[in-house]
Amino acid sequence: MPGPLIESLARQGITRRTFLKYCATLASMMALPPSAGRAMAEAMAAARRPSVIWLPFQECTGCTESITRSHSPTIEGMIFDMISLDYQETLMAAAGHQAEAARLDAMQDNAGKYLLIVDGSVPLGLDGAYSCIGGRSNVEMLKEAAQGAAAIVAVGTCAAFGGIPKANPNPTGAVPVSDIVKDRPIVNIPGCPPIPVVMTGVLAHYLTFGSLPELDDKGRPKAFFGETIHDRCYRRPFYDRGKFAKTFDDEGARNGWCLFELGCKGPVTHNACATAKWNGGTSWPVESGHGCLGCSEPDFWDAGGFYKALSVPADPLRIAGVAAAAGAAVGVGLSFANRAKKGAAKKAHQPVTLADLEKS
Amino acid sequence: MSASLEKVTQTLKEVIDAPIASYFESCVHCGLCAEACLFYTETGDPKYTPIHKVEPLRRVYEQEYTLLGRLKKMVGLSRPITDEELDQWQELVYDSCTLCGRCSLICPVGNDITYMIRKFREGMAVSGHVPDGIRGATQRTVEIGGPMGLKWPAVANVLKKAEESTGLTIPVDQAGADYLVLLSSMEIVNYPEYIEALAKIFHKAGISFTLASDAFEATNAGIQIGASDIARVIVSRIVDAAERLKVKYVLSPECGHAYTAIRWEGPNLIGRPYQFEVVHVLEFLDGLRQKGALKMKDKFAEPLILHDPCQIVRRGGVLQAPEALIREVAENYIPVADQQKWNWCCGGGGGASAIHTDEAEALRAKAFGVKKRQIEAAGVKTMVTFCANCRIVMEEAIDHYEMDTKLLGLTELLAEHLED
Repeated sequence: MPGPLIESLARQGITRRTFLKYCATLASMMALPPSAGRAMAEAMAAARRPSVIWLPFQECTGCTESITRSHSPTIEGMIFDMISLDYQETLMAAAGHQAEAARLDAMQDNAGKYLLIVDGSVPLGLDGAYSCIGGRSNVEMLKEAAQGAAAIVAVGTCAAFGGIPKANPNPTGAVPVSDIVKDRPIVNIPGCPPIPVVMTGVLAHYLTFGSLPELDDKGRPKAFFGETIHDRCYRRPFYDRGKFAKTFDDEGARNGWCLFELGCKGPVTHNACATAKWNGGTSWPVESGHGCLGCSEPDFWDAGGFYKALSVPADPLRIAGVAAAAGAAVGVGLSFANRAKKGAAKKAHQPVTLADLEKS
Repeated sequence: MSASLEKVTQTLKEVIDAPIASYFESCVHCGLCAEACLFYTETGDPKYTPIHKVEPLRRVYEQEYTLLGRLKKMVGLSRPITDEELDQWQELVYDSCTLCGRCSLICPVGNDITYMIRKFREGMAVSGHVPDGIRGATQRTVEIGGPMGLKWPAVANVLKKAEESTGLTIPVDQAGADYLVLLSSMEIVNYPEYIEALAKIFHKAGISFTLASDAFEATNAGIQIGASDIARVIVSRIVDAAERLKVKYVLSPECGHAYTAIRWEGPNLIGRPYQFEVVHVLEFLDGLRQKGALKMKDKFAEPLILHDPCQIVRRGGVLQAPEALIREVAENYIPVADQQKWNWCCGGGGGASAIHTDEAEALRAKAFGVKKRQIEAAGVKTMVTFCANCRIVMEEAIDHYEMDTKLLGLTELLAEHLED
């Protein structure tokens, strides 16, 4: 499995074995068959290097930081060796007109084939004047770049759902990418910031199979956003037993009980934090003692306060209580009926005699 | 519904208790019990899967005690049990189940399938869906006194012979003795050496014992056929005699089902604790061994293996004593795989040995295959056991396969090598 990527990885101290293991991990995280790991490794090692244009809009560069600097040097960062990153403001050496020229060249040379990555939301207020690059509004640049793109990856909650710029009262009229581009396949990788491995997983999938992974109804890859934080949370057993931390400094908090009553949004948040974790697998918000903010869900900033217990499940919980009580009542009723039946059978017992053993 | 069928459902409704309900609810249909059953492993026929043997009982449970089952019955999705079905099941419940308990032990969710079959037999018995052989044994036990039709004069005769050959007295109906010794008809008729061995051991240890002329038979065909009312009558004979003679202990003979009947089922049948303690003869002997009162003059030299009877070891809980005792007397004891609580049944327990139809006998011979392989793999010519029923069943099979294997009873083997 030779190739320029393997060589460049080797130069950075990453062996072929490590790379293969990483690909196998990626494949298993995305619930792909074991053979896919090998296929991914081979596809990524081959020097196809598709052109990628990365457009930053109303954003904080946190998403870029997440991928490039979260735990350096990460193998996630090596993704940049697998692609030809022709435009990325933060990372590229060129600036000004040279940079813009590089973008236009790439768009022209790879028309219809390049991958467009967007982070940040797109402001529509004042004709898009809230965010401009080189004198051109974000919405204009997006429309132009989307036309020749094979697919678009909306990285971060801002690009996927509007994020913090779109939070009430949304002064800039921010919208997500999917509100503007309607005729291109879009993958949303939300999160504030998104988990690096999710990003790499989607790119690896695209490089290997030439297609985007399976998406949920909000355009997110099912492999990473198929389950809620709550479903996979290691504190879930405490929730099931009704053991909740009431403050951040009580016995429950110290014992690692469920943070639901402290406003954890885990039950309504789809993301892979509980399994993939952060900072090279060191920890993740709930493990560090804070509830989930729900950052990978639309409008998480306006979901009623980070420390307010979820109002959504409150009603279902009451209904569940009633249902449980009703179920218990039915159960008790049945058991009484069954007891009566068994009692009657016992009462009607006729002593068994030798004559009974003969067939009548 | 016919009158007899009504009796069946009525009885099954009565026997279904909380354990049975939870067993049916927790069965995960894994099929592991099939691999535990020698009737399945030796025939490969899935109808011998233990949990399948109680299928009619499961249907009654579902139809009578579950909401869904009642609905299913109402709309005709679940058939009520029929006489033909019970006829068909008779073979599965009696011929091909020895209540050996291996399925109960292997069940990953802890279902006591043996207990379910035992309870299901109650329903089969009240409607006469029972093999002639066990019915006859039950009748003889109730009317005459023992499953083989033995009366006290015949027993007294055997005791007299034993007294003559040992030169020891064997007390009868002696109040205040420590032990009331029970026998099984099988021992009286086929292995009277057991009685002689026991007399020798008691005299040597200086412990008082007695037999009771009105309660010598330890086996209980009422339990095997599944008629608790009859089983109660039979077990009460022993309880009455033991409490009248004011003995401290009742000594169960080697016979496995006798031990289950008197030790485990008895108090539940009469509904109160005994005023005496039940001890299996091997527990008694092992007690003597631990006190140093069981000294051997020499050892049995030839290589041998041990067959652990299910009802004494796996079901009965006498786990350590047999091996400790065999090591005392055998120079060359070879432990085999599937020993102790994992042993394989002889193929004729639970009343099965009383069924003498051609089909039942052929099935028993087939089921012996697993034992046969054990004997052949160990390469021995001697097998020791401590249950008269196991012994007679295996002797028949050894004859059937024309094998060159000798069977010995553990108590006699010990008595033979006991220090004079």
